[in-house]
Amino acid sequence: MSGPNKHSFFYNIELSALVTVIGIVFLFSFSVGVVLVAPNYVDPSWTQPTTPYMTQVYEVADPNLYISSARLSRKDLEFVYHLKRNFTLLAFRESDSVRISATPELRKYVTEPGAEKLKLTSRLLLLREQSNEAIEAARKQYQSEWEEKHPDWKEKQLVRPDFKIFELFEPNEDEAFALASTEGVLEDWVDQNFEILDEKPMQDYHQDPGVIYVSNPVEYRVQISRFADRLTWEYNPNGKTITSLEQLKGPPFNFTSRQELISMGEHLYAIQGCWYCHTDQTRTLIQDVVLNGSDSFPAPPSSANEYIYQKVTFPGTRRIGPDISRVGIKKPSRDWHMAHFWSPKTASKGSIMPSFQHFFEIDPRGVAKSEMGVPNRQFEALFQYLMTKGTRITPPTQAWWLGKDPIQTIEIIEGRKKL
Amino acid sequence: MTQFNDTPVKLMLYPAIIFLVLGMTFGTFIAFNTFVFSDYYAGEYIHFGVVRPMHVGTVAFLWLLSADIGLFYFFVPRLCGVSLWSPTLAYWSAGIWWFALIIGNWSFPWGTNFGWEYAELPMWVGMLPIKTIFAVAWIMVVINIFATIATRKFQKMYVSLWYVMGTMIWTTFTYLVGSYGVNMVSEGISRVNVSFFYVHNLVGLIYTPMGLAAAYYYLPKLANTPIYSHRLSMIGFWSVAFIYSWIGTHHIIHGPVSQWLQTVSIIFSIWLFIPVWTVVGNIFETLRPKWREYTQSPPIRFLMMGNIFYLITCVQGPLMALRNVNEITSKTDWVIGHSHVSLYATFTFFAIAGIYYTIPVIVGKPLWSERLARWHFTLNMLGAFPFIAALWLGGFLQGMLWATWADGTSFAEYHSQLSRLPFLETISEMYWWWVARAVGGFIILCANILFAINMFNTIILAPKSEAIHERPQQA
Repeated sequence: MSGPNKHSFFYNIELSALVTVIGIVFLFSFSVGVVLVAPNYVDPSWTQPTTPYMTQVYEVADPNLYISSARLSRKDLEFVYHLKRNFTLLAFRESDSVRISATPELRKYVTEPGAEKLKLTSRLLLLREQSNEAIEAARKQYQSEWEEKHPDWKEKQLVRPDFKIFELFEPNEDEAFALASTEGVLEDWVDQNFEILDEKPMQDYHQDPGVIYVSNPVEYRVQISRFADRLTWEYNPNGKTITSLEQLKGPPFNFTSRQELISMGEHLYAIQGCWYCHTDQTRTLIQDVVLNGSDSFPAPPSSANEYIYQKVTFPGTRRIGPDISRVGIKKPSRDWHMAHFWSPKTASKGSIMPSFQHFFEIDPRGVAKSEMGVPNRQFEALFQYLMTKGTRITPPTQAWWLGKDPIQTIEIIEGRKKL
Repeated sequence: MTQFNDTPVKLMLYPAIIFLVLGMTFGTFIAFNTFVFSDYYAGEYIHFGVVRPMHVGTVAFLWLLSADIGLFYFFVPRLCGVSLWSPTLAYWSAGIWWFALIIGNWSFPWGTNFGWEYAELPMWVGMLPIKTIFAVAWIMVVINIFATIATRKFQKMYVSLWYVMGTMIWTTFTYLVGSYGVNMVSEGISRVNVSFFYVHNLVGLIYTPMGLAAAYYYLPKLANTPIYSHRLSMIGFWSVAFIYSWIGTHHIIHGPVSQWLQTVSIIFSIWLFIPVWTVVGNIFETLRPKWREYTQSPPIRFLMMGNIFYLITCVQGPLMALRNVNEITSKTDWVIGHSHVSLYATFTFFAIAGIYYTIPVIVGKPLWSERLARWHFTLNMLGAFPFIAALWLGGFLQGMLWATWADGTSFAEYHSQLSRLPFLETISEMYWWWVARAVGGFIILCANILFAINMFNTIILAPKSEAIHERPQQA
């Protein structure tokens, strides 16, 4: 028997070195197992959404709500819902000034004022504004009914409503586009007194304890016009319908889904280095829940599952700008954010934030009638990303900013509830 | 006597010295342009959010990591008694290394930030997979160092070699986890957890063992005295191996992670006192028979001051992890001060001490100017004190101001405190601290320009005639 080859690699790594390597690998894997792998399985809050509202707003509303600011004046945003048959839940509600005319077969989907339950359906139906003789006659009738109900309306100086009358109809396609009445931050949500008038549940989310729905979708029709060398458009009830998603996303409309905008916003938040100065966590400290709270209520501390729809999360290590985890409630105004990104030192005194004028285009014709440039898609993306912060942790019906904080932050910080 | 090939050392150290100066220039620029003359140079490619990662990337990777690898190339062969396993591999790895790091770290103004702290190095710059290219360069370094240790002549392994081997294994793991693993786990707080694991291990399991390997090699060399206790250094090594990987979560104490995980990280953070005291005690005891050397030699001064700063930063670290201390210090400038004390005042000082010893040896000429080296140390200290004190005191003050919002017993009281002292006023309060920090940073930058001049003059110029005592050159 010859002895071990004294020049071999392994012979030269003597036992102690081998033990070192094995020891390091063992210690490292052990801690990785406990610290990095285990929490995912031990704590359901790391992987499960806060509420069905959160799931639905990210998975149902965001991919189907389209936003564009590409209109000529570009001052306001245009919101368009992409409706899909047997998917999107719709509600048709009449109110004191809105009336819906429908065939007897479709009439069952209309929720009348004072009805006990909100009627929802995933059958693809739409409203349209049309003026014809029948509609005009109906308007007259509604007005005379109203006058009968309020015989003394002239003496009391009441304003007679100019009834808005929509026609309910069923389009032939499996998808349609509707003007959304949302302002883009909170979704229509119902979690009690509602019924879904489908024969069987069409989607899993339709069986959740609460659902996001689209209220009174009005068919999106546009009129395209030419302004100098640019095409522009505006909503017009007598214009042409949008027939496909490609058309909506293409020029001149250039709509982008809120999902894409939020994801772009998250990317911008990373590459512009916003996270070096702004934290994104309301810590379990009184100073944080007060700082991020409204005038009347503290903000609930951030929970692990707030972030599960983010590819990159920015809890942050330094706070020389305000925390952003509740900014969707603290600063919901798009105008405020425009002015602030344009010139932070003017908008908030004492700020050291750099200006982000590359989020704006130059407006050579001055059509926006604004001191600043015209916000471009970078601004819209970042704004939509910021608006997700703090607005999606609870459904609007249980919102902390209305004092309905489910974890009772105010009771905890005032010492009335012990943890 | 073994002939050592020192070209790989030069390929790492010479550029690193330039990047030290450049990285500090970026830092000084943002210290003035953001905090003193806020947004004086404004615009898409120059605002704080894009220059800050350039500063961090340049000083942390282009300077400190590269310099430490250069020092490894110097002392690992000397401790093993053989030449570097493959100088050719080292040339290639150095080329790839600089290519990936320079393009990666300086592309941030064009929007390439990866989005995770200390892992900002972009996955892609155009068609170039920068993170992967750098990972390849790192693996080449690891192979080279391990093969050198495996083919060594001296049987007994000195403590520095243990730390070197640890660094090689830990860094590989940590880098892969922080760069690739972070996007493989489920979205949300799991990724945050992985990210902070990486963030802390970058300091604890990369720079710490690298710096300590260098300190344990260069201090006995510089002072010509044996290490005080090999056993103590081994206790330090194994406690570093055991403790560091547990404590990443202490970056989000009070944050949205599970309380039990926070508690685990706090407990292990306190245990960090063990490795720290072994290192600090060992280094002081090593120099004790030769205290006079401290007054004679700038590199020894750098090493010992680095050791003192190491003690400071490592006393801070565990205490900052305590929930009540964390409430005040976390998210303030205190944290920035803490990270500068460890990466700048400790490990950069260690690396500078190593370079002062290494470069004269590899070029075979004495240091160009001892006087400049003394100035280098003095100015570094003069700059470091206002710099660090401003961040600590300012940060502490800021945390105390925030804490006033928690004065009282009812929400109405808290809220009225907040309306008396809005958030932005706590930022305005910081102004003069930030001025002091910027001035301190500028002095430090000047000091290190002197260092670069001294080093490159040593390399390029003929030695000055003034007599300089020879230093021992054999392991």
